[in-house]
Amino acid sequence: MTTVDGRHPLDREAERLAYKPPEVRHDIQGDMETEERVEKAMHHFVKNFNSQTASYLDGCLHCGMCADACHFHVRTDDPRYTPIWKLELFKQAYKREAGPFALFYRLFGFKKKVTIDQLEEWQHLLYDSCTVCGRCSLVCPMGIDIAGLVSMARHGMFMAGLIPHELHETAKRAAETGSPLGITPDKFEDRVEWMADEHDVEIPMDVEQADVLAVMSSIEIQKYPQSIAATARILNAAGESWTFRTDGFEATNFGMLSGNPGWQKEATMKLINAAIKIGAKLIVLPECGHAYMALRWMGANMYGKPLPFKVMHISEYMADALNTGKIKVKKVDTSVTYHDPCQVSRRGGATQAARDVIRHLGVDFREMEYGGDYNWCCGGGGGVVTIKRADPLRHRVFKLKMDQVEKTDADELLSSCANCRQSFDDSQEHFNWDYKMGSLMEMVAENLEDEA
Amino acid sequence: MDLLDFARGPALQVAAYILVAGVLWRLVGIIMLKEKPEFSEPRKPGGFMAALKVIYTRSFTAAPFKRATLYPKMLAYVLHIGFFVVIFLFVPHIVFFEGFLGFDWPGLPNNLIYLSGVAAVVAGIALLVRRLTHPVLKLISNFDDYFSWFVTLLPIVTGLMMPVRMGVRYETLLAIHILSVAVLMIWLPFGKLGHTFLVFVTRGTTGMVFERRGAKT
Amino acid sequence: MKTIPTLGDILQAQGVSRRGFMKYCAATASLLALPPAMVPRIANALEQARRPSVIWLSFQECTGCTESLTRSSSPTLEGLIFDSISLDYHHTLQAASGDAAEAARHAAMEENMGQYLVLVDGSIPMGNPGFSTIAGISNYDMLMETVEGAAAVVAIGSCAAFGGIPGANPNPTGAVSVQDLVKDKPVVNVPGCPPIPMVITAVLAQFLTFGQLPELDIHGRPMAFFGQTIHDRCYRRPFYEQGKFAETFDDEGARKGWCLFKLGCKGPITYNACATVKWNAGTSFPIESGHPCLGCSEPGFWDKGGFYAPLSTGKFDSGEKLAGAAVAGVALGAAAAVAGRRRQAKYTKEA
Repeated sequence: MTTVDGRHPLDREAERLAYKPPEVRHDIQGDMETEERVEKAMHHFVKNFNSQTASYLDGCLHCGMCADACHFHVRTDDPRYTPIWKLELFKQAYKREAGPFALFYRLFGFKKKVTIDQLEEWQHLLYDSCTVCGRCSLVCPMGIDIAGLVSMARHGMFMAGLIPHELHETAKRAAETGSPLGITPDKFEDRVEWMADEHDVEIPMDVEQADVLAVMSSIEIQKYPQSIAATARILNAAGESWTFRTDGFEATNFGMLSGNPGWQKEATMKLINAAIKIGAKLIVLPECGHAYMALRWMGANMYGKPLPFKVMHISEYMADALNTGKIKVKKVDTSVTYHDPCQVSRRGGATQAARDVIRHLGVDFREMEYGGDYNWCCGGGGGVVTIKRADPLRHRVFKLKMDQVEKTDADELLSSCANCRQSFDDSQEHFNWDYKMGSLMEMVAENLEDEA
Repeated sequence: MDLLDFARGPALQVAAYILVAGVLWRLVGIIMLKEKPEFSEPRKPGGFMAALKVIYTRSFTAAPFKRATLYPKMLAYVLHIGFFVVIFLFVPHIVFFEGFLGFDWPGLPNNLIYLSGVAAVVAGIALLVRRLTHPVLKLISNFDDYFSWFVTLLPIVTGLMMPVRMGVRYETLLAIHILSVAVLMIWLPFGKLGHTFLVFVTRGTTGMVFERRGAKT
Repeated sequence: MKTIPTLGDILQAQGVSRRGFMKYCAATASLLALPPAMVPRIANALEQARRPSVIWLSFQECTGCTESLTRSSSPTLEGLIFDSISLDYHHTLQAASGDAAEAARHAAMEENMGQYLVLVDGSIPMGNPGFSTIAGISNYDMLMETVEGAAAVVAIGSCAAFGGIPGANPNPTGAVSVQDLVKDKPVVNVPGCPPIPMVITAVLAQFLTFGQLPELDIHGRPMAFFGQTIHDRCYRRPFYEQGKFAETFDDEGARKGWCLFKLGCKGPITYNACATVKWNAGTSFPIESGHPCLGCSEPGFWDKGGFYAPLSTGKFDSGEKLAGAAVAGVALGAAAAVAGRRRQAKYTKEA
């Protein structure tokens, strides 16, 4: 009997006996010298080391349990997909450069300098095979937030020009045009108008003063424009003084996903400035997971002081409006299961909101086994869905999600994240799967009572 | 000065100095790095209580991970509990602690101590075998993991040899036992055994960060 | 040539019965870990033995060792055997003094050149020869002169064997043991403070029986008596295993005869026959009378921390150095953090 070594695991998905083919494509951006690249990576790794990350990087026991929480490892048995292994270079940099015993690590070479080959290999580990879903952070007996560290490690990778092309191009487009899908303010306005006509709903745009600033994600604007109408109907029904703004409508943050803190800040500041300009008391974020993380939890830190307004995910807003009676919904006779967007539920703390909304809808709610905070990720978060070369891996990982959904035997599958929806749609097509993901917000919008 | 006197005297003393200095070195070295500012509006009060909560709750496995991590967790529990029972409930050890703490507590009969020690060693060996054979652990393990394993098990093994003796003189075994403890004390602050104190920092940090978000901890 | 009476003759003359004598021989055989078949041989050898010449030298000592051998409440077989050697010089016991005494020593040495045994109690001061002299002769000179023609030397008591109380820190007289000085003769250590009388006579008996010295352990002690620890043979050992300990000398545990480990018993590291041979004609031994073993037959027992400090107590000095270590640790940690931050600042600028 042969044994399968860690670097060349069996391909269990293949139709006939096969070893997993090595992935060879390492993307490189810019025309830096190798040395400069390595140095850049190192410097931007080091910039992230604070007392919090330091304790995490110093605390790992190498128990390997995070592998059991990671969908990429669980589905492939490839040990390189062990979450903490994805941070090996980041750890290496920390121990050498900033840890309490860094002097010894450098002096005696206990930890070697990170090399370009390593960085290239880790491109796959830090991008293609991590959705920053944070499931690993929950299994860690030391309580290390591994997912948070992956986000930080990406800074070094980005600055060294060592990230997957697709993600880089998407992020670059977002930085240049304001939207990862190239949606300009004009285009946004067009689409809003179109939706207003088509759905016969009033959609305020560029109002000078409003209590609520609503924003959208490019995915919705482009692929699921009905979300625009649904958002409007809900806010109208609640009687809010609200508006969309052409100078701050894009909620996604590819600067954050790709690892460019500068771009991340630019995108965040656009929203903050727009909200301040109109004197908004609240920004309602769209059905997008990472937008919630970027503005709700990281926004104030980008701003450098507490935000002068509140930030809510649309599911939180709906839950609040339903709980306080601001809006009312008709009962819906169907059975529903809900896919939690990782950044909203597990990492964002808004798990309960969607459940409140579902309760008001009066449906037969079927929680997935270990749903909610322990939900399996859709496989497309953290920018993974943009990376073409990662598709086979993402599809493979999606099987876990399919099983989880199928076990509930619910009529409808809902979520509250356009990015999840996008990767569900893609995988659904790939597998010819029966389940079509719907939007929680759209279901609410369609069943509003006493709509104006 | 014979070996036992050396072990009980200078060896233990120097080990204690290194232990104290090393632990503080590592803790201060971590804590004094720059602070991460946090301006987001909390959903729940985080703070110290959140830290305490997670320090406690992470001692147990969340339900979804129970099946997958059952084996290593079980072994880890046995190793930790066995080790703690041996260290803190063996009467000669209690007397040792009383020597500088000034108070004592009730101990356990020796046969229970031997049982705990043997269980800890067996669990330790099983964990090592796992580390040597499990693809994930093979990949992520380094010198620290193996050396830390060695210096952890050594005092238990030397301690367990004392009643068995196997022809070695008691005072020699006792000296070796104490020296092995000194080695453990010296290594503890620097390698992964630092989790004895870092666990409070890492869990506490996560508790404070995620509890204020109202997120799962 | 005058006839020298054998040991058998002497014992008979003193009224020791044949049965009593055989009992002693059997006890000796078992102490020496010899098979029962050897008992008649011991008896025979002892009965036939000529009184060996023994020179007993007392140096820096308290006479406790001699007391231990002579102060038996009733004459014991050991005592009688001891009487039966030709103790040609022992300045505490002999009647002669001064030049006459020294003359007796010289006479014995000359008469039994290469045959006699030297028994020593007390340690030898090397700091200044004037610290301890006998008839104007320094202990060192007397020892070296006397052992020259000896067959073997037996160091009686912990002072002679290991330096003892005179050698205790700070050792003002520069006291050393016999084995520190005598390198070219076999030295048997019979330590203890005092040693068990039976052990001395048994060593002598073996020498008389087989003409050889017993097998010794790493500290030069007869294995037969010093091969096992007090702890291993202690009748209170079960209480140790059960975790039942006397906490003070007058608590319930002490009254119930529980283990004295916590009261400082050195039994686990003390090799001696007290727990089996016992004292005062087999009456008891210290632990049996409720006092922890002091470890008096071990080298350096006087400097091993307090008699009442439990064996597992570490020897820590004041907390000052520990506080110093803590301060150093904080300083190193702070320095490491500052260095880390500097590198960060540098990198931020470069980046």
